[in-house]
Amino acid sequence: MFDFAIAGVQAPIFLLALVGLTVGIVGGFIGVGGGYMVTPALIVFGFPGYMASGIDMTHICGKGLVSTVRHRQLGNIDWTLALSMIAGTMLGVELGVRLLVYFKHLGISGVVLLVTSVALMFTLFLYTQIETNRAHKKMEEMEKEGKEVGRELQTSNLPKIFQSIPLAPIVRCRTARVIVSMWVIVLVGMVTGVLAGFLGVGGGFIRVPALVYVVGASTHIAVGTDLVEIVVSGAYGALRHSIEGNVDMMAVIFMIVGAMFGAQVGSIATSYVRGPAIRYILSYSLILATLGAALRLIYVLTGQNVHWLSLAAVMLTLGEMIFLCLFISSLVWFAVRRRGGKWVPDWVGPLVI
Amino acid sequence: MKWFINSMLGFWILLLTISLGAAAVVYEIWLKGHV
Repeated sequence: MFDFAIAGVQAPIFLLALVGLTVGIVGGFIGVGGGYMVTPALIVFGFPGYMASGIDMTHICGKGLVSTVRHRQLGNIDWTLALSMIAGTMLGVELGVRLLVYFKHLGISGVVLLVTSVALMFTLFLYTQIETNRAHKKMEEMEKEGKEVGRELQTSNLPKIFQSIPLAPIVRCRTARVIVSMWVIVLVGMVTGVLAGFLGVGGGFIRVPALVYVVGASTHIAVGTDLVEIVVSGAYGALRHSIEGNVDMMAVIFMIVGAMFGAQVGSIATSYVRGPAIRYILSYSLILATLGAALRLIYVLTGQNVHWLSLAAVMLTLGEMIFLCLFISSLVWFAVRRRGGKWVPDWVGPLVI
Repeated sequence: MKWFINSMLGFWILLLTISLGAAAVVYEIWLKGHV
């Protein structure tokens, strides 16, 4: 146990490093900050809510930077896309925060937040899961027919619709190999920003599917590009929280130790898998986070009297982090085995490179 | 047992069970007093 004087909390150091490590791996792999996992975990460790948000934001900034550098080396960042989105994201976050203040005045922000989170995450899970399943099956068929399977395959028609909007200026994103109206990119940034600002999260879990299914970027590019946004929003959030005195730097340092390593591992792991594998992990992350939020919602609606609901939400949050890391590690292990000509299950073949 | 490896759903269930078990151990050892 370590005494965090600023937060006024005693917490095990290695658990903080472990949370940093696991969320670092997941964040580097699916391009999210992981606030929806870290903040509840820190609250479970005894940190007050505002301090948990501050520590989370500050560590996300550092971890995001490491992941971004690594993804840049892997060629997964489209700077035109990233920079075009930032303006929309910032405006959207501001609108989202104002929306939240409005609901706070009405006195229903807690329930509205949880209901919105559950509905949004479940919808994203459903769409991503169904689409990825389709892509997975198609890739399996291609492998059976002896056709060459590329790094990416997605079966949604949405990108074609959005890319056909003829609103000037039209932008050519060279790395993402996408030609799309600038307004579509700005709008994606703004809408995801509103949701992020309203829900008080970085918004990676909304932006990555949006970049894939609206803009039409490949999953690897969506992950790398989203991490640029996360660094910017994380830096801003860290600054704001530091000014407000919501950051215990000792806790951040212990988390960063694990996160720096995890972020590298997660980012490098993307080079072992195809796009649908990343989308599968993203959808699993979404459904488990949905279940956790649903349990918290029921707990709040039942007057916070049914304690096993709160306990189940804690278990699910911790279990989710471990589960996602195990799944990512397994995919990399299967990829290495496959490269060495060893046996892997049939379902793994189309997912790994 | 093979189904847990050969089927994606089985693998999902296997990993989730292991993860929730590990989460329960972490909770029992380090967090019980905090929550």
